[in-house]
Amino acid sequence: MIYLTAAFSQHLAADDLPSAVRAALGKPLRRAAPLTQLALLGALASLPAERRHLPTALLWQSTHGPRQETQAMLEELCAGGGEPMPFEFLATQPALAAAQIQPFLPGLRSAMHFPLDTAGLAHWSLLLALAGNWLAEGRYVQVLCAHLDSTADGAAGHWLALAGSRRETARACLRPATANAPTALPDTPDFPALVANWLDQPRASRLHLQSPDSPRLAVEFATL
Amino acid sequence: MSRPVYLAGSALLCARGDSPAAVADALWAGDCASSQRRLGEREFPYFSLPLAEPNWLPRAEQAVRCIAAQLGPLPPDTALFVASSSFQIGHFEQQGAPCNLPVANAEFSRTIADWLQLAGPRYSLSNACISGFSAIDAARSLITAGQIDEAVVVGIELANNLTLAGFAAMELLSPTACRPFDARRDGLVLGEAVAALRLSATPGRWRIAGLRTGIDAYSMTGPDPDGGPLAAVMADCLDEAGLTPGDIELLKLQAAGSPGTDLAEANALRRVFAHAMPPLLSLKSALGHTLGASGIAEAAALIACLDSERIPATAGFADPDPEIGLQPITTRCTAPVKRALLNLVGFGGGLATMIVERR
Repeated sequence: MIYLTAAFSQHLAADDLPSAVRAALGKPLRRAAPLTQLALLGALASLPAERRHLPTALLWQSTHGPRQETQAMLEELCAGGGEPMPFEFLATQPALAAAQIQPFLPGLRSAMHFPLDTAGLAHWSLLLALAGNWLAEGRYVQVLCAHLDSTADGAAGHWLALAGSRRETARACLRPATANAPTALPDTPDFPALVANWLDQPRASRLHLQSPDSPRLAVEFATL
Repeated sequence: MSRPVYLAGSALLCARGDSPAAVADALWAGDCASSQRRLGEREFPYFSLPLAEPNWLPRAEQAVRCIAAQLGPLPPDTALFVASSSFQIGHFEQQGAPCNLPVANAEFSRTIADWLQLAGPRYSLSNACISGFSAIDAARSLITAGQIDEAVVVGIELANNLTLAGFAAMELLSPTACRPFDARRDGLVLGEAVAALRLSATPGRWRIAGLRTGIDAYSMTGPDPDGGPLAAVMADCLDEAGLTPGDIELLKLQAAGSPGTDLAEANALRRVFAHAMPPLLSLKSALGHTLGASGIAEAAALIACLDSERIPATAGFADPDPEIGLQPITTRCTAPVKRALLNLVGFGGGLATMIVERR
C-alpha cells in the first residue's frame, strides 16, 4: 500500500510561467524551457521544504512535449537556417528538466519522461504502478507523478505525490485493484483534478482508475 | 510478488549489421567504418543503417519490420515500450515547412506498434541517451511485480538533421572519428539504430540482475568531472544485484569519445572498481552513438558477443590519456563472461547502469 500526499492541478497563462517560477524560487530560473519551469513549480508545490532532500523519483508524462520549440527549430532548419543556437536545441530536449530541477529538490534521484502517443489519454495507471513498486521496494521515499503540457494557450500541470509510508498529510491510500470496476475513471491527463474533487466530497470512500489497455494496472484509491 | 526478469530475445539493425549475431561478427572482425552526413557547410562522420530507401517513413518501416522478423511471432497483447529521443522528427523534416507535428508527441509509437503487430499496452520513453535503460527499468518493474508477464522494449533512433544540428551547435561532435578514452578524442559520432529486447518472467539465458538510473545535475551538457554521481549509480546497481565490483567480468562503457564525459566515466570507474577494474569495452566507435536507441542496441550487441564468447576490441582507441588513466580492450579475445555491467551517460544529466548475469 502507498499513500497519496498531494493531488492538484496548476493552470497558468504562458506569459505568467516565468513570474510564477520567480515567485516560487525567489529568483528566475535562467534558460529553462517552459516544461522545465512547469515541472519545477509543481514539484515544489508537491513537497514541503523539509521533504525535498528525501530520495525522490519524478515520473512525468506529456501530450505535446516541447512541440512549439521543436516546430520552431524544424522550420528554421527547413528554411536553411543552419545550426541553431545551443539554447534553441536544449529547449527541445525534455530530459534536461531533471538536471535543472535537482538543485531545488536535492533528493531527486531519478526522472523518467513519458511522451504520450494519443491526445486525451494518459499513463497514470503506469506511473502509479511504477511508483507503488518502487516505494514498496524502498528504492525511493516518495514519487512525484505528473502530466505537464505547455502550449501557446497556456501551461497545465497535474500532479499526484505519493509516499511509501503514512504521513500526517496523507489523504488516501492506493492499492492494486481488480480490473473492470464499474465506476473506474478513465486514464486521462487531468486525472489528479478528478482525484482532488473526489477527496473534497464529504462521502468520498473509494475511487478507481483503469486504463482500457492496461487492466492489470488498475488502482483503487481509498480515503484515510 | 517479486520475480526475476530475463532476456528472452533480441533484435538489432545498425550500421554493423541486421541481426545481433551479424553485429557480433562485424565487431569481432573489427569493422568500424562510418559514412558521412552533411549539415550546411560542415560534414560529420555518421553511422547510417544499411538501407537504400531514401524516404524516411518507408525506411523506418523497413527497419522496424527487420527487427520484427528477428523477434519472431509475439503475442499481440505484449506490452510495448518505445525508447527514442527523436521519434519521427526526420519524417517531418523531409516533409518540409510548415512542419505540422502531431498533437501527441510520441504518435509514432502507435505506428511502430502497428508494424510490430502489437495491440497491447504501449508506452514511450524519452530520456535522451538513457531512454533505453529507462524503458527496460519500467518494463522490468512491471514484470517483477507480476503486473505484466512479457514486454518488448524497442530503441529507435533514425537520421534527422535536428539532432545533428543541435549536437553540432553544442560542439559535441567529432569531425573525424569516435575515439573512446583516447588522448585525441574530440567528440562523439552519431548513428542510427533500431533494436529490441524481449523481456520475460520465463527463465532465459540472461537475467537482468540490476538496473538503476540517476541524475547528474552538474551541467545541462556534461557530467560532474569527478564522476561522483555516476559512481553512486553504479554502486547502487551493484547493491541491487547483490554483487561486488570484483564480480563484474566485463564493463560496457558509455565512452562515446567526448572529452568531458569520458573523463567523468573514468573517474567514476576508479571510485567504484579501484583495484578490481574489469576489462572495459566501448561499442560506440563501431556502432555510433545512437542516442535514445543506444541502450537497447548496445545491450543487444553485447549479449550477442557474450553468447558467442567473443569479446571484440574497442575500435578507435590508440593513445592512452594519462588523465583518463584507463584503457579499453584493444585486443579481441575469447572468454566466457558471466556478469557484465553496462553504463549509459545521457545528454542532460541522465545516468543509468544495468547488470546482466548469465544463468
